[in-house]
Amino acid sequence: MTSSLGNLRDLYQQVILERYKKPRHRGKADPVSRYQKGHNPSCGDTIELTLRLNQAGDRIEEVKFEGEGCAIAMASADLMAEALTGRNVDEALQMVQRFQDMMKGGVEFPSEFRKLNVMQGVSQFPVRIKCATLTWHTLKAALEAASSEKLEEFVSNE
Amino acid sequence: MTIATEKPLAFKVRADFPILHQEIHGKPLVYLDNAATSQKPIAVLEALKHYYENDNANVHRGVHTLSSRATDGYEGARDKVAAFVNAPSRQEIVFTRNASEAINLVAYAWAMSTLQPGDEIILTVMEHHSNLIPWQFVAQRTGAILKFVELTETEEFDFDHFKSLLSDKTKLVSVVHVSNTLGCINPVQEICAEAHRYGAKVLIDACQSAPHMPLNVQQIDCDWLVASGHKMCAPTGIGFLYGKLELLRSMPPFLGGGEMIADVFLDRATYADLPHKFEAGTPAIAEAIALGAAVDYLTAIGMDRIHTYEEELTAYLFKQLEQVPTIRTYGPKPNANGGGRAALAAFTAGDVHPHDLSTILDQAGVAIRAGHHCTQPLHRHLGAQSTARASLYFYNTREDIDVFIAALKEAVDFFGSIFG
Ligand SMILES: Cc1ncc(COP(=O)(O)O)c(C=O)c1O
Repeated sequence: MTSSLGNLRDLYQQVILERYKKPRHRGKADPVSRYQKGHNPSCGDTIELTLRLNQAGDRIEEVKFEGEGCAIAMASADLMAEALTGRNVDEALQMVQRFQDMMKGGVEFPSEFRKLNVMQGVSQFPVRIKCATLTWHTLKAALEAASSEKLEEFVSNE
Repeated sequence: MTIATEKPLAFKVRADFPILHQEIHGKPLVYLDNAATSQKPIAVLEALKHYYENDNANVHRGVHTLSSRATDGYEGARDKVAAFVNAPSRQEIVFTRNASEAINLVAYAWAMSTLQPGDEIILTVMEHHSNLIPWQFVAQRTGAILKFVELTETEEFDFDHFKSLLSDKTKLVSVVHVSNTLGCINPVQEICAEAHRYGAKVLIDACQSAPHMPLNVQQIDCDWLVASGHKMCAPTGIGFLYGKLELLRSMPPFLGGGEMIADVFLDRATYADLPHKFEAGTPAIAEAIALGAAVDYLTAIGMDRIHTYEEELTAYLFKQLEQVPTIRTYGPKPNANGGGRAALAAFTAGDVHPHDLSTILDQAGVAIRAGHHCTQPLHRHLGAQSTARASLYFYNTREDIDVFIAALKEAVDFFGSIFG
């Protein structure tokens, strides 16, 4: 890419493109403790999250996703899945907030989650923020649902 | 005699569109999202300004000078639109907010009160949501059944399939003239002739044809035709419905309010004559007048000339797109002169998602659309979740297409280098 398109490098960091091309967390959790579909109706991006929780239901043991969308949406889901594995539900919900703050130009994640900070460049492209937050928005709905009941309902990120 | 190399149309008109002369991210704007909405020439902007600076008043409601000027301007715009589509009577033109409202008007005022359970409405799989959802409402309320014409192998209107769907049960055929996604030009005249043999009515969605080619409702012989002003150089908030006089007469009013009445009593009312029967409340007066100015502007250039110039651009666009690796376009290919389809291209580029393409192109100053273009069922049918779309108008140039293609190549290369 020529230098004229250089600031796109902030948006499409290598990690994002790699994750889009070769996601590590695509699929379905086994067994499924939580299932949630999310979409951005105006652009058509969809995501299906499945979570495996521990017996007590307060710790995330596995996160998987399926869906179709742009590089930003898909890479964001893959990075989120990785960052959440082994986290408490409360902690995960705080991370949802933190991610949304980061998209508004707020502070980045501490070093233990630094991979998520590659998404920071998206904050310079306001129309693309909803691409990055779709997976987090869907996660929130999944965690807040009492169980895996509302199988057919989408949460909308718009 | 010297052979003058005439400048392409765009070079003569670009000065009329102030918005085109700006930079986006430091690059000259290349506006290729005309199927979503067009830009507005100075003549239209001036009409709005002139109206508010000189003539603003309510229409049909006063005897003072301003009111009569506003009324003359508003009704004059109706004459212009009637002439633009060659309607036999000015009473056959109803101003609406947009094409969607015009379709809803027919759905509520005609279909809801006319259709019976088991009656059939024929649409196509390529319809814009605006020409689908209102008929879903009608089907839900009346028990009418929706049938859909499929696509041919070249992704065009399948006329044979259409004929096989027609029967005495068919009461309405509602089809898009030019698809906003496939770009195919549907044979509306033949569609009307065939449907009328069964006594069915036909509505034509002319949103993507009215801005780009001459329209003649008498030749097409449609029962209704709808379009939106904002796609044909006019402001947002104004569109129109053409309907055959007798048919409009037979339809009950849609919305109730001022303007649409004759005599009002506390418990009942009689309604105004056409077209005011369908124009409840204070209309978008300035916008209608500006639509009149847009029609004048387009007519002065000549719709034939616009169409011919856009065909040249189409030929060039498709030729250049073929040079870009991984590009898959949708709808029919243009013929050798660039005819046979509209001046737009919906496409996908391998693994590169349309949104990512659009963001990258925006950085190069190029505005295209990415998404489902309000044709979700069509996208499902094509097996594409979303597509990118470049759509042209007569102020676009070959140079615009060159900038677009160069940026597209760069985007494809950029992602290609990752995907290897
Ligand atoms: C083919 C077609 N029909 C209908 C519409 C709806 O137009 P509007 O939103 O102005 O009512 C559009 C515009 O997007 C269109 O392209």
